[in-house]
Amino acid sequence: MLQVKAGQVEKMALLFERYHRPLYGFFYHSNGHPATSEDLVQNVFYRMLKYRHTFTGEGEFRTWMYHLARNVLADAAKKNKPSAHHQDIADWAEKLAGGPTADAGLQQAQDVELLHQALGQLSAEQREVLVLSRFQELKYEQIAQLLDTTVGAVKVRAHRALGQLKNIYLKLENGSKQEL
Amino acid sequence: MEANRNCESVQPELLGWLAGDLSAADQRAVEAHLAQCPACQQELTAVRQLWDALGTVPTPEPSEQLRPRFYSMLAEFQAAEVQKHRWSVAGLLERLREWWQPAYALRLAYSVALLVVGLVVGYGLKGRPETVGPDSPPLAAASQPASNPAAVQQVHLLEQLANPSAVQRLKAVSNAEEVAPTNERVLAALLSTLNQDPNVNVRLAALEVLSSLTEEPMVRQGLIKSLTQQDSPLVQSALADLMVQLQDRRSVRPLRKLLQQENLNQQVKSKIEQSIETLSNDQAPHPSTPPTSHETHPDIRSDLAPTVAA
Ligand SMILES: [Zn+2]
Repeated sequence: MLQVKAGQVEKMALLFERYHRPLYGFFYHSNGHPATSEDLVQNVFYRMLKYRHTFTGEGEFRTWMYHLARNVLADAAKKNKPSAHHQDIADWAEKLAGGPTADAGLQQAQDVELLHQALGQLSAEQREVLVLSRFQELKYEQIAQLLDTTVGAVKVRAHRALGQLKNIYLKLENGSKQEL
Repeated sequence: MEANRNCESVQPELLGWLAGDLSAADQRAVEAHLAQCPACQQELTAVRQLWDALGTVPTPEPSEQLRPRFYSMLAEFQAAEVQKHRWSVAGLLERLREWWQPAYALRLAYSVALLVVGLVVGYGLKGRPETVGPDSPPLAAASQPASNPAAVQQVHLLEQLANPSAVQRLKAVSNAEEVAPTNERVLAALLSTLNQDPNVNVRLAALEVLSSLTEEPMVRQGLIKSLTQQDSPLVQSALADLMVQLQDRRSVRPLRKLLQQENLNQQVKSKIEQSIETLSNDQAPHPSTPPTSHETHPDIRSDLAPTVAA
């Protein structure tokens, strides 16, 4: 990244190849919009180019990247639609490539859809800490740095977020059973 | 202390314990508590289930448009950067240095001299009274009414090359690359700028543009001819380098003639001698003199300063 800072803009291509998928995952799990997420990924890389002088080389590149990504997400949330964590069960079944049997695959797809929906119903703060730790695989230390807080506070937030996720999930599961 | 941890303080640690993201002390404390607390063991199982389930939510692949979109954005950004850089004093210095590498010890003085030139170009000449009034007909525009946009751009470019402001002329030279790089009148104007512009930076910029157009016979001939018309060591040296790069042996004679010029800078002299030698021997091109050869000529500064500032 320091090379990019030094003006070798083409080094950005390497960063794109390495990080566009994780970034896409970050946005997708945060807002549930596949197309919007692509716009936001593009936006992050644009900001990386534009603000490359703000990366000091101290601290990790990934932390800086997610710092930009959070800002992009917050800006988008201000003017954009609410999160839309919803997919057809059939889509999930396809993505999951089926379980041992068609039925098991369908069941798993339903679970995944409920979890995905539950994630969408969390508050942005709670969702963020789960997305960063579960999907982006950031360590508590990195998340704490990113959110400008302590490791202890991150642990507590993640713990509460997971508890809340479970409550929402169970509620959704109940609802879907009653529908059947 | 470890034994004192209660369920309330252990449960927020379970996620970290699963992810292997706890300090050694915390890890030991959690394990010690878990070993003797069935409630927390149960909680751990529940947390593990949910955590694992969350991990099975797949991330879809981004569409195939993402990559091309990024690369076109990158290309646009790069183009804009190059344009910006070109007009910065730093960019100018850098490009001059590529042509001309004075001995290390002299670089500072040299840079300062160039910085002064940059500032003069940037501020001094801007304030100069316009010598081309609205009454005097713009260069080359009168004879031919420009009807299509390309022609309008060309006429504008030719006008700009005659602008009293060195900054405007620099911009015009750069625009020439985009507007009509192979138009004969534009080429002629660029060559005339290379030979006659009062500002050495403008002459160097013209040379840079022309050196990418050496496929044109007119440009090649014009550059060879220009050798004997230059009095700035920067331009002389850049031209000599270019001749070696082009391996054009027709330049040997004008290079020899240039050697006879009075007050020729020592460094330029040795560079030209070397260029002649390279060209005569028909060797593979050595576009640039190694910087070490300059170190024996500390008199370069006094030679350069007045010429550069001219
Ligand atoms: Zn306990």
